[in-house]
Amino acid sequence: MMKQGSTQKNLEDEVAFLSKKILELNKRLIGSEKAKSRFLSLVTSELNNPMTVLVGMVPHLQLHVCEKNEKIYPMVNQEVLNLDFKIKNLVMTARIESGDLDVSYALVDPLDIIDEVTESLKYIIEEKKIHLHVNNQINKKIVADPQIIYTIARNLISNACLYGTMSSAVEIIIRKENSIFIISVKNYGDGPKLQNKPEIFKRFSDGPDGEHGLGIGLSIVRALCERFDGTVDFSVDNGIVTFVASLSLDEEKVNSKAYGSNEFLFESFDDAIEI
Amino acid sequence: MIQGSSTFIHVGQIHIDKAPYAISTVLGSCVAICIYDSQLGIGGMNHYLLPFWNGHGLQTPKFGNISIPKLIESMQEKGSRIETMEAKIFGGASMHISASENMMIGQKNIIVAKEILKEYRIPIVAEDVGGEQGRKIQFNLEKGKVLLKYTSKQ
Repeated sequence: MMKQGSTQKNLEDEVAFLSKKILELNKRLIGSEKAKSRFLSLVTSELNNPMTVLVGMVPHLQLHVCEKNEKIYPMVNQEVLNLDFKIKNLVMTARIESGDLDVSYALVDPLDIIDEVTESLKYIIEEKKIHLHVNNQINKKIVADPQIIYTIARNLISNACLYGTMSSAVEIIIRKENSIFIISVKNYGDGPKLQNKPEIFKRFSDGPDGEHGLGIGLSIVRALCERFDGTVDFSVDNGIVTFVASLSLDEEKVNSKAYGSNEFLFESFDDAIEI
Repeated sequence: MIQGSSTFIHVGQIHIDKAPYAISTVLGSCVAICIYDSQLGIGGMNHYLLPFWNGHGLQTPKFGNISIPKLIESMQEKGSRIETMEAKIFGGASMHISASENMMIGQKNIIVAKEILKEYRIPIVAEDVGGEQGRKIQFNLEKGKVLLKYTSKQ
């Protein structure tokens, strides 16, 4: 008994020692990343406001499209939408990293969100002649933060269109199992190599063909899913790449402005210990 | 009894507020640090899952060594000074699985809390950590007191 106690004590001492070591080493790693994060935050806030103006104004230019500039308008609009998406991802990264991810629950139709995403991707869908199939198995509104669902869907569908082969199909399935919202996005193409799986969801990882996006899209998807007790994963089978993201929904939240873990909040603390 | 409402925080969240509000959370092997500044009457709480950011993915506050400095910085942004901050730490239980299986996450979470607070020279005035039971806590920002209840063992 005594020996067992002493082994446990040794183990705890070792864990304490190693933890302190890791903490020290990790500090250097964080330091090296800090400059990058700060730079991103600054750039993000500087870009966000002018971008919002651009996104709002560019559609008005369409009124003046004539033969001379009919090709220019869609190009400009596409790039503006593209840039807006990248900045939104940076804003989301900054929000997640700051721990300031306020969640606004609303009753939303997931199909509306998917429509909004596909509208923002209309140029690449047109350019690559992508056949988009949406299979909505929910058919009713859900309680969720629309911005978060949009960000997850936008990143997954955008990647599928970007890396899918020309004239191929992209299939989107949205469904709900119990209180879990699941979106799966399937495209035809090579896709990321399975052995690179751990890399794919990291920040600033390369695209599947060594192409460089911002490399934060999937890391955002993962962080958002994990924030709501969900996951994101992908599989590649015979040239079919499927990304599946899931997150828990809390159906009770919309009824209350307070946090909906009502069992906890409204439980009495009368017999609690005060520390 | 709190006069204002209570904000519930999840894993990876940090919340700063002032009296008469309260901040609450539920902990298993996670750790929450409550920092209170009695001079300003403001307090903040974090809730982290794992001790260390592993260098991959986003530096989210679900990692102790990201979350704790951010909590302290957020308090400073609200005008609080290190000298007037006091900390209380909670959680870090070994939940339902053997020590070898959970890799002593709770234990490591506690160590990280103590080490980082020591580094910032913020005194730990109270703690209720370790053990095998989960905890529900409510940080009352009126006086900086924390109400604690253990979750029932399964």
